[in-house]
Amino acid sequence: MTRRTTWANRMGTVVAALFLEACRGVQSALAPQGIDAERVAGLFWVMTIGAALILILVMFVTALALFGPESWRRWLSRDGIIVAGGIVFPVTTLTALLGYGFVLTSIGDSRPGGESIKIAVVGERWWWRVIYRDSAGRRIESANELRIPVGRPVEIELTSADVIHSFWAPKLAGKLDMIPGRKNVLTLMAKEAGVSRGQCAEYCGGAHALMAFYVVALPQPEFERWLAHEAEPASAPPTPQALAGMTLFAASGCGACHAIRGTPAAGAIGPDLTHVGGRLSLAAATLPNDEAAFARWIKDNQHIKPGNLMPPYGIFSDSELAAVSNYLASLR
Amino acid sequence: MTLPAAKSIAICVSAVVVTLGVGAMLFVWSGAYNVAASEQHFAVTHWLLDFVKRRSVETQSLLISAPPLDDPDLVRLGGAHYHGGCAPCHGGPGDPRNPVVQQMYPEPADLPIAAPSWTPGQLFWIAKNGLKFTGMPAWVAQNRDDEVWAVVAFLRALPKMSDAEYRRLAIGEAEAPRSGMLELAALGSRAEILSRCHRCHETESSPSANRLVPKLVGQSQAYLEMSLRNYANGLRSSGIMQPIAAELDEANLVEAAKHYAQHRSVGKMASAPLMSEKIERGRRIATAGVPEKGIPPCLACHAGKSAATFPKLEGQHAAYIVGQLRLWRRGLRDRTVQGAIMAAIAPRLTDEQIEDLAAYFESVATMQVPTEAPPPPPPAPPRAPVRRR
Ligand code: HEC
Ligand code: HEC
Ligand code: HEC
Ligand code: HEC
Ligand SMILES: [Cu+2]
Repeated sequence: MTRRTTWANRMGTVVAALFLEACRGVQSALAPQGIDAERVAGLFWVMTIGAALILILVMFVTALALFGPESWRRWLSRDGIIVAGGIVFPVTTLTALLGYGFVLTSIGDSRPGGESIKIAVVGERWWWRVIYRDSAGRRIESANELRIPVGRPVEIELTSADVIHSFWAPKLAGKLDMIPGRKNVLTLMAKEAGVSRGQCAEYCGGAHALMAFYVVALPQPEFERWLAHEAEPASAPPTPQALAGMTLFAASGCGACHAIRGTPAAGAIGPDLTHVGGRLSLAAATLPNDEAAFARWIKDNQHIKPGNLMPPYGIFSDSELAAVSNYLASLR
Repeated sequence: MTLPAAKSIAICVSAVVVTLGVGAMLFVWSGAYNVAASEQHFAVTHWLLDFVKRRSVETQSLLISAPPLDDPDLVRLGGAHYHGGCAPCHGGPGDPRNPVVQQMYPEPADLPIAAPSWTPGQLFWIAKNGLKFTGMPAWVAQNRDDEVWAVVAFLRALPKMSDAEYRRLAIGEAEAPRSGMLELAALGSRAEILSRCHRCHETESSPSANRLVPKLVGQSQAYLEMSLRNYANGLRSSGIMQPIAAELDEANLVEAAKHYAQHRSVGKMASAPLMSEKIERGRRIATAGVPEKGIPPCLACHAGKSAATFPKLEGQHAAYIVGQLRLWRRGLRDRTVQGAIMAAIAPRLTDEQIEDLAAYFESVATMQVPTEAPPPPPPAPPRAPVRRR
């Protein structure tokens, strides 16, 4: 008996901890930071609380009908009560909820914040290609991270390069599938600056579970500064070590798959690395972004993210690996 | 028959069986049986052993079906390997067996006479698996059936072969004996080692004639050394090259690699680049890749300033390139860190793309000596092709 209670206690603690963590976390639909996610959260709470209240009411009435005093039971069995509780009540509540849902989904288009900006996100196995356009219409490619201005509607054009993926940034909006040969548009708006996390929500093969991303909401002026910097070609290697790393990068054929603007590397198969050192994570939010993580990724990526489409590079000595990592980390 | 009678017969039979068994054990234990190779088997033992061998080979090789074996290059490669790997025991036309080998028992068969009594599938089975209790070894690289077939192709041609023809196939001498000799003389102490390589690979005076044997000219010393080490320690499997590389000591290995790295390109390496649609398709993949299929441009790694351990492909025999890419697709060249890189790429190619690429690389006749002229600058990797988005 005591055994069972401690076990139950423990389970309770775990569940509560998970729940709290989810609320606080960078990837919780219950802690919205965007207008659309707020609506989703609002709908969730209305539904949950409403359903709970109705459940309590029904249980109470059932208990009365079974064990209540004779007079109550007789009252409950009247035709009028049955019609009211069994037909009128469900029809009104469900109709009201449906109307609420319609209202929620239709207000999407009339939002404040002025002209929207467009960002294209392409689902790839197993990472995200992100393409911005600046005011001059220039195409600026990045990966695995979305930066958006606070208080402006953002239209995210979702496509896929291979199989069906699904884009889900729970703190900002609901999920939407990325379907090969189709363009789906998800509009969202961040209400406050901050970092949140999202992930692929449709099984897309081997490394699906490691296909996530960060969304960084920045105040408008900061976003503009960042975008202008992102449009720049890569900075020159600042140290001799980084220079050695750049040479190794070219000699090892990394440029066959990766582009670093401003260098001959112009590959289109893997993520654009022009400013990779300035991102929050590596390999679709699989690793942190520091020199050690670069080194681990280059050498051991098939263990870190099994089945991903980059070949493992065991060819480097420790000092060569450090040089390549140093170079990549310097690309801010 | 009454029961007691049956019982006594059973007892009798068991007694005989037990006595025979014990007798046999005693005979073996006594050491009276002579295992000397200098002593012939009894006729009946000989017959029995031969019968066992033939029946076993026939049954075990029942399901093997032979690929086409008429390719002269296949015969030639088989012949060159035969000279190094089989002739020391089996001899060959004009190449009598060593007296020591003649004292083996059973004596290695005279294959020009023995080979026709086997079907190609049976020869394949024997060459691949060897024969227990005879000294006939199994193939070194058990996963390289393609190489074993080369030997079978040669064994099929062997019975009709003249001494001169055998020498030409096995030693590759007949075609340019004079210049080959001169070159060897100039090589001094390395000559003996390199004469082994020249059986198959190009010499400075004669181009690599066999499409199945890689051209070594134009490769860096680092790549050649690495490849020889990988063969020697079994990380790269080849029943033909593993024994050869394993025989080289460190100094000779480096010397051989250095020799080929400094080789001058021999005359015209490949026929003038005839443009065909196939070659053009290959060129496009080699320079631009097929990004939507995850195929990177080959030239980003296989040209110009790439790492010294990355091989060059320009001018390489198409058949060799196709063969190696198939090995990767079968997971047979991925045990080295370099091999692991190609192992991620080769399976993304279709059969047709492999053929196109091989045809393209073979058509580019620029396998040049690095010392003569600086290699052409790497083609600027192409601008990212626009992807479907
Ligand atoms: C055959 C193509 C290919 C080659 C060659 C290649 N990569 Fe990659 N690389 C990829 C792909 C595909 C990914 C995305 C993997 C994933 O997250 O699923 C990737 C991811 C990366 C990342 C993480 C990028 C990010 O946005 O988080 C880094 C860093 C990287 N590669 C560095 C290198 C280096 C350094 C080399 C050369 C030593 C190299 N790559 C060679 C295909 C390649
Ligand atoms: C170490 C010595 C040795 C080497 C090396 C060797 N063999 Fe043999 N081989 C033998 C012996 C011994 C037999 C057994 C002969 C017998 O059973 O009558 C044999 C039998 C054979 C037979 C069956 C002949 C028959 O009719 O019984 C074939 C075929 C054969 N070898 C092919 C090859 C090939 C091909 C190679 C090279 C890849 C090779 N052998 C290498 C020793 C050798
Ligand atoms: C019996 C024929 C033969 C002889 C003799 C021979 N080779 Fe080879 N060599 C081959 C074949 C066949 C291959 C391809 C093997 C494979 O599939 O991996 C090869 C591959 C190689 C390679 C790898 C080339 C590449 O592009 O990866 C090197 C290096 C090499 N040989 C060096 C030598 C040297 C040095 C010698 C002399 C000591 C020698 N070979 C003798 C047949 C031969
Ligand atoms: C990211 C670098 C890279 C790219 C891109 C690449 N390769 Fe390779 N390739 C290598 C390395 C490294 C080796 C050496 C492997 C070894 O020694 O085991 C190699 C070896 C080869 C070989 C064997 C050569 C020999 O002499 O044995 C062939 C054939 C080959 N590659 C074909 C291709 C083709 C075709 C493509 C384009 C579809 C391609 N490679 C793209 C890195 C690359
Ligand atoms: Cu996905």
